[in-house]
Amino acid sequence: MTTHDWYVEHREAYVARSLEPGEERAFRNHLVHCDECARGTDRLARELGWLGMAVDPVPPEPGRARRMASVILARRNRWRRWLPLAAAAALALAAGGAALGGRSERRELRTLLAEREGELAALQDTLSVLRRAHQVLQTRISMDGHEGGLLIFQDAVSHRWCVIVHGLPPAPAGSVYQFWFITETGMVRSVEVNADTRRPAFMTLPMPGVAAPVMGAALTMEPVVNRSSEPRGVTLAHLVF
Amino acid sequence: MPRPVPPRQGGADPPDAAPGGSRRFALAGEASLRRRLVARDEQALVELIEAASPWLLGVTRSMLADHDEADEVVLEVFASAWDRASGLGDENEMLLPWLLRIARNRALDRLRGRRRRRLKLARADAYGELPPAQAGPAEVDEAALPGWHVHESVHGALAGLPEEQRSVVRLAYFRGLTHSEIARELAIPVGTVKTRLRLAFGKLRVALAPIKDWVL
Repeated sequence: MTTHDWYVEHREAYVARSLEPGEERAFRNHLVHCDECARGTDRLARELGWLGMAVDPVPPEPGRARRMASVILARRNRWRRWLPLAAAAALALAAGGAALGGRSERRELRTLLAEREGELAALQDTLSVLRRAHQVLQTRISMDGHEGGLLIFQDAVSHRWCVIVHGLPPAPAGSVYQFWFITETGMVRSVEVNADTRRPAFMTLPMPGVAAPVMGAALTMEPVVNRSSEPRGVTLAHLVF
Repeated sequence: MPRPVPPRQGGADPPDAAPGGSRRFALAGEASLRRRLVARDEQALVELIEAASPWLLGVTRSMLADHDEADEVVLEVFASAWDRASGLGDENEMLLPWLLRIARNRALDRLRGRRRRRLKLARADAYGELPPAQAGPAEVDEAALPGWHVHESVHGALAGLPEEQRSVVRLAYFRGLTHSEIARELAIPVGTVKTRLRLAFGKLRVALAPIKDWVL
C-alpha cells in the first residue's frame, strides 16, 4: 500500500473526524497537496452531510428564529462601529505590503462584486413579480398612531406574491406581526413580519403547500406563544381577491 | 440511555399544528434564498433559521446534551453563515447539509474540549444516543417541518445498517470518538472499527444518494 492509498482508505474516517489527532493533522496536510483526495473528501462530506438529519429535530419555537437573527444582526452592528478603525488599520497594513495588498484588494473586490450580483439578482427577482402581477391589493393599517399599509402583488406566472408591509412600528414585546394566507378551507400561517417604520418589509412568498385555492391574506398581531393554526390575535388587515 | 420515541402520528395535525407554516422553503427553492442571503436580506436570515434550526438544534443537543451550549453552537453557525453569505454561491452544495456539517464540527470541537477537561462525560453518555433502529421518529408536527421526509430517509438508512456498523457510526459521527476510543468503548480491535466504519459509510452513501436533490 502506498502512502496515497492510506489516505484514500481513510477518507471516510477523516470526514467523520474519527482519525487520531496526529493522523488528522497529517491528512489535513496531505489535502493541501493532493487535489484528488481534496475533491474526494469534499464529495464525501457533502454526501454524508445529510447524516445529521438522522437525529430528531427540535420542534420550532415561536419567535426563536427572529430572536436568533436579532442577536446575530446586533453583533454584526457592534462590529460595524469598529469598521472605520479596522479600515484605517487595513489601509496602513496595505501601504506596508504592496504585493499582499494587491491580492487582498482583488479578493475584496471579488467579494463585493458577488454581493452586488446577489443584490441585483434579488432585485430582479422581486421586480419580475411586481412587473408580472396581474392583481394588486392594498389596505391601510393604523397602529399606535402610525399610518402604514399592506400591499400585495399577485404573480400568476410564478405563483408567488410580493408582499410589502410599510409604515408599521416594531411589534410590542411578546407579540409578532403574523401574515396568513386565506384559503377556501381556512387560514394558513405564513411568515412573521419584521416591521419597522423606517423601511418597508419586502417578502416574496410562494403559495402555501395546501390543495385549497388561496383567496386572500390577513395580517394579525399574535402573541409570541401562539403557534396555533388559526389566528387568535387582533386582525390588522384582511384582504380577499 | 436512548430517548423514548413515541410512535409517529398518522398524518393528523396536532391541535397546535401550523399547517404549511414552514413548507414554503421547499417550494421557494434554495436559489432564491441564497441570492437573498448574499444580498444581505435580513428576512432571508430569519427564514434560513426558521427552516434549519430544528435540525441543527436536534444534532447539537443530541451531541452536547446541554441545551444552552447547543443553542450557542447553532447561533454561531448561523452567524458564521451570515458573515460568509457572499461565499454561498456554490450551488453544488445544499445549504442544509452544509450547515449541519458546520454545526457537527463545532459541537465536536466542544465535545473534545470537554473530554480533555474530563467533564460531563457521564451526561454525554446518557444523551448522546440516537433513537433505536426499531423506533420511529419522534413526535413532532412533521407537516410544519421542511425536511421531515429527509429525516425519515436518513433515519431509515441508519436503521438499515447492521447493529455493529450502526453503533460504530453513532460513536464516530455523533459522539466524535476516534478509532482507538471506539475500539476501547466496544472492546474490539481498531482494524475492525475501521472496516465497520468504511462499510457503513459506503452503504450510507448509496442510501443517501437520492436525497441530494432535496433543497432547503
